[in-house]
Amino acid sequence: MKANRKPKQIHDDDTDLIRSIVAGQTDLFYEIVSRYEQKLYNFGLRLCKDESDSEDLVQETFLNVFKYLKGFRYETKFKNWLYRIATSVCIKKRRKSKFAPERELSLEEFIPGEGEAVPTEIPLWASMPLAQVLNEELAGMIRGAMKELPDKYRVVFVLRDIEGFSTGETAQILDITTANVKVRLHRARLFMRQQLKTYFEHD
Amino acid sequence: MTDHHHHENCLALFDKLSEYLDREADEETCRKIEEHLKICRPCAVCLATLKRTMAICKEQQEKPVPVDFSRKIRSMLGTLRP
Repeated sequence: MKANRKPKQIHDDDTDLIRSIVAGQTDLFYEIVSRYEQKLYNFGLRLCKDESDSEDLVQETFLNVFKYLKGFRYETKFKNWLYRIATSVCIKKRRKSKFAPERELSLEEFIPGEGEAVPTEIPLWASMPLAQVLNEELAGMIRGAMKELPDKYRVVFVLRDIEGFSTGETAQILDITTANVKVRLHRARLFMRQQLKTYFEHD
Repeated sequence: MTDHHHHENCLALFDKLSEYLDREADEETCRKIEEHLKICRPCAVCLATLKRTMAICKEQQEKPVPVDFSRKIRSMLGTLRP
């Protein structure tokens, strides 16, 4: 006979709050908004077309969370569940209004071509203290470069390298394999590296 | 140097650099990459610039939520019933 084991339940900083809301203290939902509105708004800014789409993303995500919170099973962190909802809202929105062309990034495009010079010295932008490299102009360039990433690479890059989810968590949020997360992430990082190289070399 | 950088070994390891930086590569791969980095300057540069790319992107500041929008969200939620 197969053992009918219940999946392990996760307890984190949000768990008590969620249980209280589900138990009827719906006013506490504002606390979820306070905890996550800025994170979600910025997640939206990185994935959506503009501020207005990002606001829609935040609004629809909170509406969905409010609607389906009773169905939350505590088998993942609440935050991961929240981002799963936000990501699916975003994917639906983007299907309606595309702005970055959907294409595959291949490893080959990041390998220097025959006869092309291959750097043998670490460039200044990669060797000087990080604080000296960061500025507003660079931040704007990064925002623009991220928008150039095709959707499926950008969402992995944002979840992993900006939001800080692990490979396993990102796979769960997007419902793809960890191998797939790794492949997309590596190509997205190489793409961003290429953009940075171009930016600094033409400065 | 270009010919050297198209060496099969470079290309195979190039594919694994993110896994290596994330400490998700297996022991054997880590060992191969570390050995290779000692002798291959272009790959060492590639790793350094990839690492710096990640660090720069991670440091991006968040924008605050517009006050009017934040107010709108709260008033919308106030009208909902479970």
